[in-house]
Amino acid sequence: MTFLIATTVDEAVAAMSTGSRPIAGGSDLVVGARHGKFALPTDLVAIDRITALRPITTNADGTVRVGALANHAELEVNATIVGGYTALADGAALVGSPATRHVGTLGGNVMNASPAMDTGAPLVVLGASVELRSADATRIVTVGDLWTGPGRTSAAANELCVAVHLPARPAHSGSAYLRLEYRRAMEIAVVGAAASVALNTDGTLAAVEIALTAVAPMILAVTGTSSFAGRTIDDALLAEIAEMAADQATPISDVRASDRYRRHTVGVMARRAVAAAADRAHGVTISVPVNRAQGIGAAR
Amino acid sequence: MSTTVNLRVNGTTYPVTIDEGRNLVSVIRTEVGLTGTKEGCDDCECGACMVLIDGRPVNSCSYLAVQAQDREITTVEGVMNGSELHPLQRNLLEEGGVQCGFCTPGMIMSATALLAANPTPSEEEVRIGLSGNLCRCTGYAKILAAVERTATESAQEMAQA
Amino acid sequence: MTTTTTPRRFVRADGPDKVTGSGRYTADLTMTGQLAAKFRYADVAHARITRLDVSAARAMPGVMAVLTNDDVPDVRFGPFIQDRTLFARDVVRFEGEVLAAVAALTPAIAQAACDAIIFEYEPLPVVGDIEAALAADSPLVHDDWSAYGAADVLVRDRNDASFASITKGDVEAGFAEADHIVTSRYVADGCHAAPIEPRAVVAQWEGDKVTIWTSTQVPFDARAGVCETLELPSNRVRIIVPHLGGGFGGKCGFHYEAHIAALARATKRPVRLVFSRREEFIAPDRRREGMVFEITSGVRNDGTITARKAWVAVDNGAYTADSGFFSQLVAMHIAGPYAIANVHVDAHLVYTNHQPSGSVRAPTAPGACWAVESHTDELARAVGMDSVDFRHLNALDTGRVGPSGQTHDEIGLQQCIAKAAEMIGWNDDRPADEAVGLAIGWWPSFAAPSGAYVKIDGDGAGQIITGAQECGTGAVMTLRQLAADELGMQPEDFQLIYQDTSAAPYDMGATGSQTLFNNGRAVVEAATEIGRQLRNLAAQRLEANVDDIVLADGAAHVAGTPALSVPIAELAAEAAGGELLIAHGSGVPPSAPALEGSSCVGDLGMAAWVAPQFSCHAVRIRLDRDTGVVRVLDVAAAHDSGTILNEVGAHGQVEGGILMGVGQALTEGTVYGADARQRNAALLEYKLQTIADSPKVTTHFVQIPTPNAGPKGAKGLAEAPNVPTAAAISNALASLLGSPVRQLPMSAERVWEAMQS
Repeated sequence: MTFLIATTVDEAVAAMSTGSRPIAGGSDLVVGARHGKFALPTDLVAIDRITALRPITTNADGTVRVGALANHAELEVNATIVGGYTALADGAALVGSPATRHVGTLGGNVMNASPAMDTGAPLVVLGASVELRSADATRIVTVGDLWTGPGRTSAAANELCVAVHLPARPAHSGSAYLRLEYRRAMEIAVVGAAASVALNTDGTLAAVEIALTAVAPMILAVTGTSSFAGRTIDDALLAEIAEMAADQATPISDVRASDRYRRHTVGVMARRAVAAAADRAHGVTISVPVNRAQGIGAAR
Repeated sequence: MSTTVNLRVNGTTYPVTIDEGRNLVSVIRTEVGLTGTKEGCDDCECGACMVLIDGRPVNSCSYLAVQAQDREITTVEGVMNGSELHPLQRNLLEEGGVQCGFCTPGMIMSATALLAANPTPSEEEVRIGLSGNLCRCTGYAKILAAVERTATESAQEMAQA
Repeated sequence: MTTTTTPRRFVRADGPDKVTGSGRYTADLTMTGQLAAKFRYADVAHARITRLDVSAARAMPGVMAVLTNDDVPDVRFGPFIQDRTLFARDVVRFEGEVLAAVAALTPAIAQAACDAIIFEYEPLPVVGDIEAALAADSPLVHDDWSAYGAADVLVRDRNDASFASITKGDVEAGFAEADHIVTSRYVADGCHAAPIEPRAVVAQWEGDKVTIWTSTQVPFDARAGVCETLELPSNRVRIIVPHLGGGFGGKCGFHYEAHIAALARATKRPVRLVFSRREEFIAPDRRREGMVFEITSGVRNDGTITARKAWVAVDNGAYTADSGFFSQLVAMHIAGPYAIANVHVDAHLVYTNHQPSGSVRAPTAPGACWAVESHTDELARAVGMDSVDFRHLNALDTGRVGPSGQTHDEIGLQQCIAKAAEMIGWNDDRPADEAVGLAIGWWPSFAAPSGAYVKIDGDGAGQIITGAQECGTGAVMTLRQLAADELGMQPEDFQLIYQDTSAAPYDMGATGSQTLFNNGRAVVEAATEIGRQLRNLAAQRLEANVDDIVLADGAAHVAGTPALSVPIAELAAEAAGGELLIAHGSGVPPSAPALEGSSCVGDLGMAAWVAPQFSCHAVRIRLDRDTGVVRVLDVAAAHDSGTILNEVGAHGQVEGGILMGVGQALTEGTVYGADARQRNAALLEYKLQTIADSPKVTTHFVQIPTPNAGPKGAKGLAEAPNVPTAAAISNALASLLGSPVRQLPMSAERVWEAMQS
């Protein structure tokens, strides 16, 4: 076994070009190896000291570049993320515990490609892309193109995720992520839903994107939401959204929930995510995460 | 394969020769020889193994020891002020926040990180800050009270100073 | 007298060890030359062993021993039914059954050796359903059940390991008097004690004696198990318990001490076993029992319950640990703390291919209380009565007669009901998604023999050497206060020597909430004897009548003449040159009350309750109607546990017991597959409540004089707070839904399913 500490991206991708696996916080690797899911990789390159991968920066064109090493604890409080990409902050704030939020990085999350990841649905509705670097190339793919199956990505073994790119937010927009949780902390999503809402100046819906967590082999982008454009956001619309999300979900039954219950509750989460995103688009402040601000898990 | 790395634990540097795949808790408990850090689950679900790395809480069961080299690791053994109990330790005892004590070291580390980042947390912030540490004995009420009392006392001291 | 109490500062003697990390738990011990132990488990719930070949494992470098049933004495053991062996013999009956034990240089080598053991088997039909297991044509878990040694009083038949019934009056006559008959069925899933410390054992032989450091709640039981299975006299086995990281019953009984002692003997090296969390879930014979209940009660329009008839089946799992008495105990709990004239309960303890059940915090009580209290609210709804009024009318009170014919002395149940209702704001207005619910529970105090020594050395420093075991509750810690009070000294003047079977006299251990009740009596008796010695010495020194000597403030005083005094330290110095200040105590355990007008089949003494404890919990919850997620916001707990000796500790017991009850109510339940294997043996899937979930708890102790109780009128306390919480949550939920959720835990999905029907 070899273990190299990289301090630059070039060092990291050079090591990866000879077969090393990158490790940031390492939780998924260490826990996975311990539970016999897979062996710990023979050769590791630690990327957690590459300071260039940390910053969250806003570009002149309004797009945002989130360094792959941005951890969940930063994402849940970062002003740029909370201000414009609130669903991502909601998701980050719900991950595991304070310790796992400090150790877990967005890049690690994205490359782990779990259909239950809490940051996944937010990234989909926010239109995120991932910047992949190898020793000889850089390419940018949407998260939808990156994720090919549970735990699988289209990235080559020598490609390092260096950043997540978020497009500029439309005017009068808001986003939110909610998940079903049986307790208020230390949870994994049974189901979850993210929504991004943009409003017309008259308050009607300009656009809504919805993505679902843990109801399909990958994060599921709900299709057909463009038909809602121009609608008033009311209970009837929210009911249609819940039904649409439930219809498109293909959940499994497991020890956490039955497929029937998942299908119902993912509709509830979608409805609530859209409502919260719309409220935020209207300028209503709902603190991060929505789960603890209202509804499920609220301290009240 | 093994490698020799320097681990700085509670201000002391320990050169340790370890397999690269070892997790931090096992190295702290065995090679470094500090057994205050406990192991209750091995997959980030109980918090008994909580240590601080550069001041941030980390489940040491799920963190490679080699990744911690040349960083500042703090364990429960590093919390006392010299020979005096840290106010958090004293308050946990006086409020009754310790029963079996197995979660206590991890709880202390999470609370230390929380109070360093947020010296005057709300009750909800304490609850979220300690939510990665399971306690089966106390129902948490007295742990909550001890952390809140520590914050209050610290704020009073700051105000007087 | 009813008093409201405020906790006072009480710093536990083991506290500094625990907050500094200097305290050692079993897994923290390392011996020179120590080997690592690992077990090979069956990983199949029911099968006949056709091949168990350990030769490849034995041949691996670094493997020092591999033991199977062939390598230990062929002893069947078990406290009620001798139905098990240390290692699987011929047939495996649950997935966590130990096939073989390995000792190797490292844990990794030991695990590799376990994996190298060849285990081939012929599958046998899996018995996973408690009710089906009672059918005449069910496959048997133990073909040889009738040949096993067992306690004479047990009533056994095939998969029915222990049948008990309680009969009082005539239930059919009682039903005839009723205006309404309500029948309810409830199912409680099994769950786990889940202490945060996974168990560990270290064993080391010196000559023909073995010392075993182990995370047990019951060191003397553990010793007895080692002696029985390895055929050793008790004075060659020493059990020492380092700090114990919680138990909740999960570490009661005899577990793996003999396996590790056998490995240490075979290898002539110290051997250490440390469980993973998964092993902690799967293997020990200490899961909380799953149960099925059918309850029928008759009630008159005025609210009087005229009769109650119940049938209970308790999942015993594959082997009978300490569960033999569960059938009679659950019969008491399903009848409940009510003064009902006519009662009949049949209860069965049923073998299955599940992990064995054993005493987890108030065994059978939380599940049975949940069922009977949910049923009781159904009765109240049937006659249109308020839950609180209905309980005041029917519940036990001083002078009333319980289901087994016990006439109760001074008890505080009625006060508990009133106080809990008041504290929760029973009649307050609240939002439509919130509700309150309330339930009552009871639990016996267990009278048992127990011993302690007290000594004061020449410098005046005291020691209490006790057989009692501290599992975190603080019960042993409180012993210092009892000795100090008796001798006019301070608790800090005493050190505790405990958890060592070779140093101290017998105690039953941290089980049955009995430590202060019984060992407190022992310590008081020993301290009283020291006090007698001190008074004699003081009388001589002060030239006073011994009857006039008062011990207070660290000195012996002459009553009425405070100036005439001598420090206890001086008397101790004098005694050090002569008779020595040493005493032992045990005291006489309180005797069981008489039962009249009832009959018990399968009577294991669980129907006559010494100094019973009573409680009422009231909760306020909120329901998310879209998802079925329930949050518990407030809990008001009123307890009659007699005199409270350690306020801080007592509040901690109540708060901890309640949160365990919240978990049991909502998120904690063992999920079995059709193969009778656990599907959620990890803390991510078996969800303990976090600090973010814990409700606000308000506690009140109803402290009334209790006849026939423990020291200073104390009863037990550690288990009682776990009894009525889930039931109170059920009743709050039922008031929102109109009827109860009939399966425990009342998971979000089950609540949601209940709303669909």
